Amino acid sequence: MGEHLTFIGSVTAQLVRAVPVTLLILAVSGVCATVLATGLTVLSVARSPLPRLFQRTWTFLFRGTPLILQIFMIYYGFAMVPWIRHGFLWTAFRDPVFCTCLAMTCCCSAYIAEIFRGALAAVPRGEIEAGRACGMTGFMLLRRVIAPSLIRIALPSYSNEIIMMTKSTSLASTITVLDITGVAQQVIAHSYRTLDVFCAAAALYLLINAGLSALLAALERRLDVDRAVSSISVPPVVEPLS
Amino acid sequence: MDDLTLLGFGPDGWAPLLLKGCLLTLAVSAASMAIGTVLGVLLAWARLKGPRWLRRTALVYGVVLRGVPELLVILLLYFGLPSLILSLAETFGWDAPGLPPPFLVGSLSVGLVSAAYQAEIFRGGVGAIPRGQFEAARAMGFGDLLCFHRIVLPQVARVVLPALGNVWQFNLKDSALIAVTGLSELMRTSLVAAGSTRHPFLFFGVAMALYLVLTTLSSTAFHYGGRYSNRWDRG
Amino acid sequence: MRRLLRAGIGFAMAAALSLSAAWGRASGAEEPPPRTVVIGTEGAFPPWNITRPDGTLIGFEPDLLQILCQRANLRCQLVAQDWDGMIGALQAHKIDVIADALQITPARKAVLAFSLPYAITTGVFVTQKDSPLARMANRGLVLDLDASPTPERQTQALAALREELRGKTLGVAISSTYDAFLDKYLAGVITVKSYRTMGERDLDLLSGRIDLTLDDTTYLRPLLAAPDAQDLVLVGPELIGGELGAGEGFGLRKDDVALAERLNAAIRSAVEDGTVRRLSLKWFKADATPTLEPHPAAAGGSPQP
Repeated sequence: MGEHLTFIGSVTAQLVRAVPVTLLILAVSGVCATVLATGLTVLSVARSPLPRLFQRTWTFLFRGTPLILQIFMIYYGFAMVPWIRHGFLWTAFRDPVFCTCLAMTCCCSAYIAEIFRGALAAVPRGEIEAGRACGMTGFMLLRRVIAPSLIRIALPSYSNEIIMMTKSTSLASTITVLDITGVAQQVIAHSYRTLDVFCAAAALYLLINAGLSALLAALERRLDVDRAVSSISVPPVVEPLS
Repeated sequence: MDDLTLLGFGPDGWAPLLLKGCLLTLAVSAASMAIGTVLGVLLAWARLKGPRWLRRTALVYGVVLRGVPELLVILLLYFGLPSLILSLAETFGWDAPGLPPPFLVGSLSVGLVSAAYQAEIFRGGVGAIPRGQFEAARAMGFGDLLCFHRIVLPQVARVVLPALGNVWQFNLKDSALIAVTGLSELMRTSLVAAGSTRHPFLFFGVAMALYLVLTTLSSTAFHYGGRYSNRWDRG
Repeated sequence: MRRLLRAGIGFAMAAALSLSAAWGRASGAEEPPPRTVVIGTEGAFPPWNITRPDGTLIGFEPDLLQILCQRANLRCQLVAQDWDGMIGALQAHKIDVIADALQITPARKAVLAFSLPYAITTGVFVTQKDSPLARMANRGLVLDLDASPTPERQTQALAALREELRGKTLGVAISSTYDAFLDKYLAGVITVKSYRTMGERDLDLLSGRIDLTLDDTTYLRPLLAAPDAQDLVLVGPELIGGELGAGEGFGLRKDDVALAERLNAAIRSAVEDGTVRRLSLKWFKADATPTLEPHPAAAGGSPQP
């Protein structure tokens, strides 16, 4: 029993040392994907059809294929493309952490853009019209009216997506990155004690996700400025008689 | 060797294996979806109607399975299941069975994760039915089974089907992770082809195209399924 | 060389199975003499055993077994099955022999009986032609890790190896038998990257993400002969024995002594008349003939040539 606890302790210590790698991948791809998703959302409401088509193709491509395949494509596939292999880009593509971040950015931006798009459609038209009536235009309208509503509407789904991303970081281990899952597999290869090691790893992921959920929930509460108002049942919108 | 030979049906072509991989991907996704639905319904029932301890268990199950990476669940089952079976066999004095086939391990692990998501969907679906309808059904003298068949099923199906379509898409993509257990589904086949022909760009590209076909076809199928279950709404 | 991790699972399984098998015999189950022998192989471990699209098995082991069975007067039936259940199937009498490039190691001897080795593979290093490692010292020098006492030359060669590889990245297939060697001789000197399949490792070797690899000569020599592997080159010393095991043997049930004796006699004759050499040159592009101990009956007689 004592020996067992010592083993779990040493395994956990080894796994904890890999937490920064997991968090690094999550942070880099989380930020990049959100920025890219904002861009894609803008494209999705463009007037000309070409940007809209681009956004739709992007979503189709990255939501329709498994992330693990995208990671392998970028890591192994692109490495065989001569101009990447012999060009200046190789310094980046050589690194499996970069490849994971790139794949996750592309894939998750497609999901996040859809969330933003849905939220944008859900921003009440009346608010925008009221903003216009007050003389707001362009950026001011976006910053003062659309963005606050949009963020509040999108946040619950966005939080879900971030939790999904945390789980997806484990795929980095399939291309030799020593993140939590990667280290867990390495430890098992030397000790054969599957159950203990994987349970310790699972506990770490649960801990990270619990922390993130708490953070995002706190953010949600903070942004919910009209909580008091929304707790009173809102009367249904009445179609104006024309 | 040129790309067409590699992708053809000839002796050096990978087409038969890739198509077999597609079928296996569909089969393993369908199996995990079925496991997920059965277990998901049970979990939803446990959360809604079960005794306190069962409610707690179902809640913890959902939190854990939705918070741990799918890859870890698959690896845990793949490496852990054999020793679990063995110790069970020892405890009960059974003859030691063979190792579980990779197909079972794969569909079970994806199915277990799928169940956690499906349970939430079913719970939400039943919750969306107004309580008054149950009371009305009881007043009309409906039994439990009739109530389920006439009141719950048609409405839940309508609410739940689009969400289940989403879960199916996730299952389809999660099944690619089973490649790590050596099951020759589409992902694994493309990986083996990429490794042994050393044309990764070609084979991963083809695999992506095939996954796009699978996801598009199945989303079309769910679209029509949704229209069917919504048939009373129109008009 | 067989992956160890999966084998670990197999052994835990087999340990329990051998218990139940012993129970079965104690209750009086008798098996007929193995005139007809079922041989299990994976059919997915080229060039040792390969399944053709039509289902027939080819490779070094099917070729060799055809000759061995004839000489041992056995009616052999070769069946393909997953490695995962192989040891269990052996203990459960579903198959009588495992022929799957099974490395003879002390850990496995606890569970299985082994025939004489019918092949021995050396571990070799491969790197890119334009890498600085392409000029590694002691090329082709065979280091026998079992040699005792260790020859002076070998100690020097291993020290030189450590110096040359310092700071380099070496890729291996996950849980290969090379792990133990790397742990013992190169721990802290190199970075080891583990790959799930050899194919992935080969792709990273070609792209230059890893500096070199260490694997069986029987796998790497045919690889180097492939047209798209022109940039790769064999370097440094070859490794044999010690942590890498004592060659490949057939896995048998411990109580199946009669079959072991018949197979051993056939292996000995195939090794002595050059059949193993001929087949290994055909499939491995290298001579994998093992050195056998003198025949027990001839002990004290003339030593092996």
